[in-house]
Amino acid sequence: MADDKDVLRDVWFGRIPTCFTLYQDEITEREAEPFYLLLPRVSFLTLVTDKVKKHFLKVMKAEDVEEMWFDFEGTPLKWHYPIGLLFDLHASNTALPWSITVHFKNFPERDLLHCPSNSVIEAHFMSSIKEADALKHKSQVINDMQKKDHKQLWMGLQNDKFDQFWAMNRKLMEYPTEEGGFRYIPFRIYLTMSDRPFIQKLFRPISSDGYTHTLGDLLKEVYPVAISSDDESKRYQVVIHGIEPLLETPLQWLSEHLSHPDNFLHISVIPAPSD
Amino acid sequence: MLHVTIPPFPPPEMSSCFLDEETFCQCCQLLLQHSHSLCDGWSWEQVKGSEEGYLRKTALGTGRTRCNLDQQGNSSDQHQERTFSLSFHNDDDDDDEDDGAVCCIQEESSSSSVVQYEYHILYSCSYQTPVLYFRASTLEGRSLCLEEVWDSVHPNYRQRLQHRPWDTITQQEHPLLGQSFFVLHPCRTEEFMMPVLKAALEEHRQVNYIVTWLSVVGPVVGLDVPLSYCTQKHQWLCTRRLIDCK
Repeated sequence: MADDKDVLRDVWFGRIPTCFTLYQDEITEREAEPFYLLLPRVSFLTLVTDKVKKHFLKVMKAEDVEEMWFDFEGTPLKWHYPIGLLFDLHASNTALPWSITVHFKNFPERDLLHCPSNSVIEAHFMSSIKEADALKHKSQVINDMQKKDHKQLWMGLQNDKFDQFWAMNRKLMEYPTEEGGFRYIPFRIYLTMSDRPFIQKLFRPISSDGYTHTLGDLLKEVYPVAISSDDESKRYQVVIHGIEPLLETPLQWLSEHLSHPDNFLHISVIPAPSD
Repeated sequence: MLHVTIPPFPPPEMSSCFLDEETFCQCCQLLLQHSHSLCDGWSWEQVKGSEEGYLRKTALGTGRTRCNLDQQGNSSDQHQERTFSLSFHNDDDDDDEDDGAVCCIQEESSSSSVVQYEYHILYSCSYQTPVLYFRASTLEGRSLCLEEVWDSVHPNYRQRLQHRPWDTITQQEHPLLGQSFFVLHPCRTEEFMMPVLKAALEEHRQVNYIVTWLSVVGPVVGLDVPLSYCTQKHQWLCTRRLIDCK
């Protein structure tokens, strides 16, 4: 359907205008100007910020530069989360551009994973895809693919090539017609008000008696706090790719169209803004 | 105590073995009982407001650490710029990102030292297996980096990790705590568990999935499982329950 394909493109090409400012305590030889960049929602911070690094390195001595990391309002940003997820989770109700602080010292060892090269990002990305397929197809589709097919998925993401990526990814979105959907839906629900980073559980898109589960059904089952009852005002927003899908949306459809390139539905539950 | 008799018919084709979360918890509780009698330090950590939890244990061990690092783990030389690709090496011929680093990093200033390990056993619903998470720090509180953890793996196990990318150690976010841990990738667990469970079924023996699994993966990262875990009768769960026979 033409409309559904448009959704895939809209998701892929989503961008967030961002302003990178050097942390005030970093040692510089002269003043560092902020750097502006449009970040792809579906990519990863460490994959798309080489220009940011180059920009700030111009005013710094090599010995003052270690692994680059980012924070937003004091919270270290996890590079292994998709950029769009980080924005929706931490900054969706703040003014644009998204203001991120850049650091080159005092890497927060406990909180952030190291990212010494693109190979680590690739490994992480492929690991997520593999896990998603374990849930959707008991790993049958991903295991039937060749190494070059895996590589095509990664290169598609790395080089922002929608067609190259989807030529391969469409296989991961197929399912036996008689099943009506995937075995389980790969999803993670991210919470801001909890120590726990996310909720991930086994959840079927179609029940044994053929009922099509919706986003609302998922939330009721694994995180009922997110859904307010009729008589109280909405306390939380359920956000995917910067939008609030209707709770009646079939989960199978969401999984096929609003998943990230890693094949996971990354869902943010954030406090609704008080007007 | 769980004690189900195995029906007296030839075992059918085993298509997969999996561990459901409930059985995971039961196996963990059994492990804990024996752990208490041995005083070897395992505890059960429950997630607030949920039935989920994990096994936890801390232990002192030896590891290879670099001595020229300060409190934050930063060295005076530019070691961050050195790329290493411990996940994909031999198999990835066309990966030009790979600098070709295959095994342990030659580091003149690395030495054997006492390392504090923290091990967590979690349940993965995606792979329906247990997963071993761990972190390591020096006695001064500095977290070990991946290179040092890699260096600390016993030489006997290094080859196994090198040649099978999916068995490798990577840094991951702990799914319940949100902090950085090292993980042994779980997607090949079924491969080594299946023969064990199959043999046990055919010989009418019972096993504790967690104990069996841990005895395979634990030693790779310095965690040994005393033999008495396997010989205690009350540790066993009916093997039939662990195998999905289609």
